[in-house]
Amino acid sequence: MKPPAFRYVDPRSVADAVGHLQEHGGGAKILAGGQSLLPLMNLRLVRPQVVVDINRISALAYIRETDGVLALGGLSRLHAVVGSDAVTRRAPLLAEAAAHVGHLAIRHRGTIGGNLAHADPASEIPAALLALEGEVVATGPRGARTIAVADLFRGPLSTALDPTELLTEVRVPITPPGCGSVFLEVSRRAGDFALAGIGVLLQRDGEQCARVRIGVCGVGGTPLRMREAERILERSGVTEDTLRAAARAVEHAVAPSDDTQASADYRRHVAGVLTVRALRQAWQRAGREGR
Amino acid sequence: MADTPRRKWVGKSIRRLEDPKLLAGEARYIDDVHESGMLHAAVLRSPYAHARIKRIDTSRAKALPGVVAVVTGKEAAVLAGPVPAFCAEPVVQHAIAIEKVRFAGEAVAAVAAVDRYVAEDAIDLIEVEWEPLAVVSDVESALRPGGPLVHENLGTNLVFGRTLTFGDVKGDFARADRVVRRRLRWPRVAAVPLETAGAVAKYERTSRRMTVWANTNMYHYSAMPFAGTLKVDPNKFSIVPVAVGGSFGSKHLLSKVITIAGILSKASGRPVKFMEDRIDNLAASDSHASDRSYGAELAVTADGRFLSLRIDVVDDYGAYFQFGQTSHGNYLSQVTGPYTIGSVEITLKAVLTNKCQQMVYRGAGSEVNNWVLEALVDTAARQLGMSPVDVRRKNLIRPEQFPYKIPTGNYYDSGNYAGVLDLALRMVDLDRWRQEQARLRAAGRYIGIGLATCQQRSVYSATEFWFWYEKPGFPVTATPEGVTVRIGQSGQFTVSLNSPFWGNSPETVVAQVLAEEFGIDPSTVSVLYEDSLRALPAAGPGGSRLTVMLAGAVTGASRKLKDKIFRIAAHLLEASPQDLVLADGKVSVAGVPQRGLTLADIAANAHFFKMSLPAELETGLDASHTYDHPFTTPPSADRSDLGAFYPIVAHAAHVPVVEIDIDTGLVKFLDYVAVHDCGTMMNPAALDGQIAGGIAQGIGTALYEEFVYDSEGQLRTASLLDYLLPTAAEVPSIRIGHQETPSPYTPYGLKGSGEGGRMVAPAAVANAVQDALAPLGVEVSELPITPDRIVRWVREAQARR
Repeated sequence: MKPPAFRYVDPRSVADAVGHLQEHGGGAKILAGGQSLLPLMNLRLVRPQVVVDINRISALAYIRETDGVLALGGLSRLHAVVGSDAVTRRAPLLAEAAAHVGHLAIRHRGTIGGNLAHADPASEIPAALLALEGEVVATGPRGARTIAVADLFRGPLSTALDPTELLTEVRVPITPPGCGSVFLEVSRRAGDFALAGIGVLLQRDGEQCARVRIGVCGVGGTPLRMREAERILERSGVTEDTLRAAARAVEHAVAPSDDTQASADYRRHVAGVLTVRALRQAWQRAGREGR
Repeated sequence: MADTPRRKWVGKSIRRLEDPKLLAGEARYIDDVHESGMLHAAVLRSPYAHARIKRIDTSRAKALPGVVAVVTGKEAAVLAGPVPAFCAEPVVQHAIAIEKVRFAGEAVAAVAAVDRYVAEDAIDLIEVEWEPLAVVSDVESALRPGGPLVHENLGTNLVFGRTLTFGDVKGDFARADRVVRRRLRWPRVAAVPLETAGAVAKYERTSRRMTVWANTNMYHYSAMPFAGTLKVDPNKFSIVPVAVGGSFGSKHLLSKVITIAGILSKASGRPVKFMEDRIDNLAASDSHASDRSYGAELAVTADGRFLSLRIDVVDDYGAYFQFGQTSHGNYLSQVTGPYTIGSVEITLKAVLTNKCQQMVYRGAGSEVNNWVLEALVDTAARQLGMSPVDVRRKNLIRPEQFPYKIPTGNYYDSGNYAGVLDLALRMVDLDRWRQEQARLRAAGRYIGIGLATCQQRSVYSATEFWFWYEKPGFPVTATPEGVTVRIGQSGQFTVSLNSPFWGNSPETVVAQVLAEEFGIDPSTVSVLYEDSLRALPAAGPGGSRLTVMLAGAVTGASRKLKDKIFRIAAHLLEASPQDLVLADGKVSVAGVPQRGLTLADIAANAHFFKMSLPAELETGLDASHTYDHPFTTPPSADRSDLGAFYPIVAHAAHVPVVEIDIDTGLVKFLDYVAVHDCGTMMNPAALDGQIAGGIAQGIGTALYEEFVYDSEGQLRTASLLDYLLPTAAEVPSIRIGHQETPSPYTPYGLKGSGEGGRMVAPAAVANAVQDALAPLGVEVSELPITPDRIVRWVREAQARR
């Protein structure tokens, strides 16, 4: 379990990093927290010619709030996301989801940019950002562009990022007042990838469900937005019947597969179970928030 | 037991002597061994479960700069013969496969290079042309007539089959009012120690000596066969023990790891280190454990008495048979559990398939039988409408029945099983939990209270390795443990062990025994580990034997030393040896404490002043003692009586309390009580650690772990992301209680305890889940109990209703 030889560069600026990516194209891999890349290299499943270590680009590690948007630098450690006062207050769903990523040691190294760019379909952050309707900033040779998280994921471990682009920022709309959000997942062990996970953001207007956004992970080749379930609740509010209908809609919309941890049937079933639980809890939280 | 003898050190939770060096990083593990000029090995492993090697080309690998040696199976066979195996059948295995591979992960070629990176680069450059063969992926396909054979020379994949009958099984079943039947499936798991296996071999061409450092164990048994494999004279072949980062049974032999390092050292002329990486270890460690399907029957009377037990077991052994059917000999020592069951019959089919082969894992097969028996007992209780507690109480062997001979011929030395059960139920407060269970069930919640009352046999005799065979290959009967105790010139104690440090507490044990025997401070004892050429006979850690056996060896050596000490002291004090007493490191005339000599005085005389000694005594103050098994008898020729082979029998009752979320299938522990009776406790704190660690592994088996092979024989759980070991988050806080019923056969009344936690936990946890789900009509017949399975079982049960 040792990687084949590779070149290593450690640029000090985004421009330099992009320069390296441009020079080596698909042969380069960005090293951020390394929590997924290094095991894949050690297993020789990924064999980059050049490793572009961005850990010294300290300008990429920030969390700040501007114009109704929470902006997180791509190199923000997940541990910092979990512990950030700004994230906890302004987009609590993201903090809650980030706490489910791996273990403390992994979160100390792992970054939000790396988590998204790796695009593991069972990862929690993408599902939360789908529900939060976040976007990412990708910086490449022609400058920066913005990609909605909904458009970021193309398949397992595959994104809309160009090989010459670096994910430099994650932008999350600040959760408005009157909202409740919840992240729930089922995993075999604490810290494992989700067998099924769900992030819910629900805005309550009295007994009406003004807006609901649902992202799920672990039940498809990419994280998925559950639009049919959202429509059911926005149309008919939160009752035991609509919760059940939403769960059915989620079970219908997801596309899980079998592996040694759980069958597709199980994942589908649990996605439905979590839908009911997460929505019920988000509804209660939104009620508390409203008072 | 009229009075408990007063002891100062045995029974005390002294700090372990082993810990400081482990915590400070000063212990020398195998990966810390560095020899001058040492090369690093990597192994090319088969991608196929069953295939013929048509052509293999290593020329590109050999040409890679930094590569010193590349050997294929054919080339290796010139340097080494087949690896040691302890089965009677001609199941031949080579460290590197020669003509065909028999499991995915089997070694096909090995490289020695300047570092592991280059070695793995070279592995990438080896080209193999394969002819894939039909795969024997499970026992059904293995036993199908005319199907593919794992070993053609055997003519069958049924490598061993036999029925052993003890007592009047037919009669007892005929007399029974009811027969409780279960079909049960125990999963393929493994010890998976955090430290993988490794070896450094150094072959010196001129002297034709080979020195091997390895984290192995049984070198008293294995060094000679290893020398034969590697074609080195046995008196020039030495295995040097190192600190071991966990074995739990998985590292007894390491036949291929050691042989591959040895072959590469011979081929390169340089020392070579081979460390398994995690994939090597999970896929090809040769240490997977029991993989069994059971049909089991318990004959009972209407009032709940157990009469007889019938077990039909098929075990998927994988591609080789290195240890024979040992793990089925093991449980015959306690097959009927703590119960008065009058007869028993076992039918074993040992089957070869295209998978990694078996070794033993903490429990060595007895933990499996405990689960089978406890599942039958709980089923009997349900069918008879009795409580799990009452049905057990009715059948437990009573204290006055010991020593108790079970139908197989093994003896249980002593016990008070009802006492253990009572304490466990008190500690957990069963009545309160039963009320809570009823209350929460009304609210739609599922609480389960599990009970398992199990034996934990200890101190094996080597007859268990072969008594299943009518004609054993090598019917060894010695199961010794030797030590040498030296009292140095200043009266300080040094002990030489002849077995490695395996993560248990051998240094602490010998220090406590010496402190007890001589009244010295145990923290002053120095402990060394001998290599196999210098070692006295010793079988090492395994079968929960080491504490008992070391205590026997050290007390034996102490007797010899005391005899000499008293003779020297008597001479110097002009007293009779019978009038002398030894206490607190001092020998004095009884009743006249001021007329005495310290051990330091006596030691100085023994080492430096020959003319002060009685004329017949030699200079020096040291003694060796090899303690043989305290109570073992041979099996009868017809195997209707296996003799005493595991007669030091501890006992435990575990009561886990779980809550199950039936919608997600997640199991949460609400409490876990474990009460053990391991005879006299040597060191209660160390014992608690053994119990807790064993329970953690038992929870792994019950709820998390499983090696999954697909129909092509590919291992789908070849990383620790897929093979789920329980972590601190999955293991509850465990409340431990103790009872002490001394053994009449061992020093101080000790019993072995190293495997106890894992002996009981799978049965107890499975019974807890069963208890929670029983109202839904679910039967737990298969481990691990995964969330997926729970959800499926609940749905299937609901569909049946």
